[in-house]
Amino acid sequence: MTVKRICLASDVPTNEMREFTTDGGDKLLVANSGGEYFAVQAICPHQDVPLCDGFYDGCVLTCHQHLWQWDIKTGEPVGGIAEAPLERFAVFVEGGEVFVGTRGALNVGELFSGLSESTLSKLQGLAKAEEHPAGGALYQAGDPADDFFVLDSGRIEFQIGRDERTSPAGFMLRKGEVFGWAALLDAHPTRIASARVLEPSRVLRINGKQALAVLEADPASGYLAMRRLAGLIARFLAAPGAR
Amino acid sequence: MRIQVRARNRAYDFEAPEGEKLLFAGLREGVDLPYECATGTCGTCKARLVEGELKDLWPEAPGKKHLKAGEGEFLMCQCAAAGNVTAEVSKYVYAMDPGVCMPQAVGGKIAAVRHLPGDVAAVDVDLDSPIDFDAGQYMALETPGVAGMRGYSMVNFARGTKRLEFVIKKKPGGGFSEWLFAGERAGSALALFGPLGKATFYPNLAKNLLCIAGGSGIAGMMAIVDRACQESYFNQYKGHVFFGVRTAKDAFYLDELAGFQARFAQNLAVTIALSDEDVPASLASRYPGLRFDRGFVHEVAKKTMAGIYGNIRAYLAGPPPAVDASIRFLLLEAKLSAENIRYDKFS
Ligand SMILES: Cc1cc2nc3c(=O)[nH]c(=O)nc-3n(C[C@H](O)[C@H](O)[C@H](O)COP(=O)(O)OP(=O)(O)OC[C@H]3O[C@@H](n4cnc5c(N)ncnc54)[C@H](O)[C@@H]3O)c2cc1C
Ligand code: FES
Ligand code: FES
Repeated sequence: MTVKRICLASDVPTNEMREFTTDGGDKLLVANSGGEYFAVQAICPHQDVPLCDGFYDGCVLTCHQHLWQWDIKTGEPVGGIAEAPLERFAVFVEGGEVFVGTRGALNVGELFSGLSESTLSKLQGLAKAEEHPAGGALYQAGDPADDFFVLDSGRIEFQIGRDERTSPAGFMLRKGEVFGWAALLDAHPTRIASARVLEPSRVLRINGKQALAVLEADPASGYLAMRRLAGLIARFLAAPGAR
Repeated sequence: MRIQVRARNRAYDFEAPEGEKLLFAGLREGVDLPYECATGTCGTCKARLVEGELKDLWPEAPGKKHLKAGEGEFLMCQCAAAGNVTAEVSKYVYAMDPGVCMPQAVGGKIAAVRHLPGDVAAVDVDLDSPIDFDAGQYMALETPGVAGMRGYSMVNFARGTKRLEFVIKKKPGGGFSEWLFAGERAGSALALFGPLGKATFYPNLAKNLLCIAGGSGIAGMMAIVDRACQESYFNQYKGHVFFGVRTAKDAFYLDELAGFQARFAQNLAVTIALSDEDVPASLASRYPGLRFDRGFVHEVAKKTMAGIYGNIRAYLAGPPPAVDASIRFLLLEAKLSAENIRYDKFS
């Protein structure tokens, strides 16, 4: 984890937020929640709108544009509209100064953020980081579904069907998004879609069975992850009548 | 022309005839593409062109300020396909639920224009064929002589109806509203598309209603309160309606609002906020069932509602500054969650 100094603690008054640019040129938002500091991505995951222009009451951050909302402490969507969590950064306050460190894709991810530290580090141990050039395929429909993936950066697209009869089935582009989750289901030994790498991408590859064993050993974390998985699957089920 | 819209969760294929806006073509086919204003101002319908060619029907659309230059981004509500088109929307897109009122293109004509106080006109429109809509929805409409569509909220609530009622405020220098006020318009042809908008009210909501309207923003609120009254909703739930105008002379629909209020006097409160003058005693005595207060409508609402935000769904409509100010206090002070704040900004 690289740690960077961002600002003075006093730069961000209680229950307010400020945008900062790191010396690497990345923007992030530092929020003060009752004296505790949190750092999240500066730009709305919906439409490139600066979140510092939004509303913040000390707990909930709302983008002013279409009112997506998040819990500042967890980055999780609240309020029923937001479709994606916020990327969070680790925050350290020392000697009146605020430092942040970047988190791995696993911790910001929609499946595993908020799990117990020990379970997260076991999952981290299972994860193999891979870089894929544009144009390749991660898997094809019909392949055995042993591993699932967490996107770190880049862009992955999906196709369902085979040969001539394929149709696009969505895309992943946010850090922490999980795909290939059939590997986490008992009854799905094969891929239902193929995954193509559209831009140079970094992914974490994790074996599904091993991850399930880790989650089983920590039922509280396991329950949270499975609840999230259920929500994720629901998002990809198209309503009836869809063409 | 074949259109493919790739969303984050799946792709949708539909046909769009030449000249039809991609947003409308998709909505007609039951694809719930993202939009808010449907008329080129808000940027919510932004998409990225993957393949094909577009015809931009309004190159100066203010909503384009939300587009990133050089990345092929465009507004689906202002662009039509010039050939087969593949586009991408960086959002989850679902098929519309069965049972929602399906948007469609429909012709019509202005049946009557009645001038109301405060540079406002009540406009009745007869459609060529009946449509269904929900309380709180709007239509995009245009007339041959004026370029582009405008959004107007229905004042009435009815199912399978050919009669739509609108209330339209004159905007100095405005294309459509100036046209409307400039002559006798009964009989004029209109092209409409709708119903549109998600600031809808259904009686199974089971929440107290808070309506905050600036000026002609009262239009959609009339439909919501009308529907709620038709279903005796206020026997069980409270309704708080705030209607802001400049002066007593600019107020309209007071008889209608007083009528609703009298039917559910226990639970329905209607407050008229005057921003530019103190409340004349004569007004208050003419409408004993209505409340009057001085101030901007969001300020009056905030003051009146303090401490009674339990189980509330808010509907907001009117000029963007009034809507934005209301959103701000509903989030920060009333702590309503985003799903309970429904709004139409008349930008
Ligand atoms: C969801 C919604 C509901 C609304 N409901 C009501 C209502 O019930 N009552 C009411 O009085 N007002 C309502 N409005 C505002 C209304 O749509 C008009 O903006 C307003 O009447 C001013 O119109 P105008 O033609 O006089 O002004 P203009 O400034 O000429 O135009 C206003 C709007 O028309 C569109 N437009 C203008 N020129 C073009 C062009 N060349 N091509 C394409 N589009 C163009 C743009 O959207 C522009 O913002 C609503 C707006 C929205 C978004
Ligand atoms: S841009 Fe932030 S909610 Fe739409
Ligand atoms: S919906 Fe197209 S700009 Fe508002």
